[in-house]
Amino acid sequence: MASASAAAAAPSKPEVLTLFRSLLRTAREFCDYNVREYVRRRTIDGFRHNKDLADPSAISAAFSDGKSQLEVAKRQAVVYSLYAPEVKSVMELKR
Amino acid sequence: MAATARSALLKYLRVPVKPSLPSNPLPFTLLLRRFSEEVRGSFLDKSEVTDRVVSVVKNFQKVEPSKVTPNAHFQNDLGLDSLDTVEIVMALEEEFGFEIPDNEADKISSIDLAVDFIASHPQAK
Repeated sequence: MASASAAAAAPSKPEVLTLFRSLLRTAREFCDYNVREYVRRRTIDGFRHNKDLADPSAISAAFSDGKSQLEVAKRQAVVYSLYAPEVKSVMELKR
Repeated sequence: MAATARSALLKYLRVPVKPSLPSNPLPFTLLLRRFSEEVRGSFLDKSEVTDRVVSVVKNFQKVEPSKVTPNAHFQNDLGLDSLDTVEIVMALEEEFGFEIPDNEADKISSIDLAVDFIASHPQAK
């Protein structure tokens, strides 16, 4: 049932790029360097991994997975902000 | 008798009235409220924007720095795809410290378009 309704609406290219951009924007909100970079890397790798999907149902499954991950990332950005690291990572120092 | 005493007293107490407003008030434009420099923003110089955009694009790992010219197209000249373009626009946001709305970001597909947009945006710094 869920897969049938998902298959009916394969996301368009602008929708996918908007999801990609939203994930990257959410990634920037993490205060911890390691998590911030992980979310960014994971987003880019995930979209690259699925960029050659051709089957509409696989595309919409990946798209809805990405949307649920976006919600997870938004929630976690708030949770992590409550436990912000007290010192910056050495990677954040300006060279 | 009482009337003369009263007028004598009043003459003593009365204060000469002067207009309280200065005769030449400040020009109106000086009284207008100004926005602070930070809110109003200022436009960056176009050649500076070009240099900074080019260096951001050169630092992007998939781009060959020698191919980057001020009017290179991301997809046609630099061999990037639409995901890379989104990443570059995000990197430009970080470099210039302001947020590019999605509908504007979709239109930025080459370096000169990015320069035009950023140079015409007052919040870019």
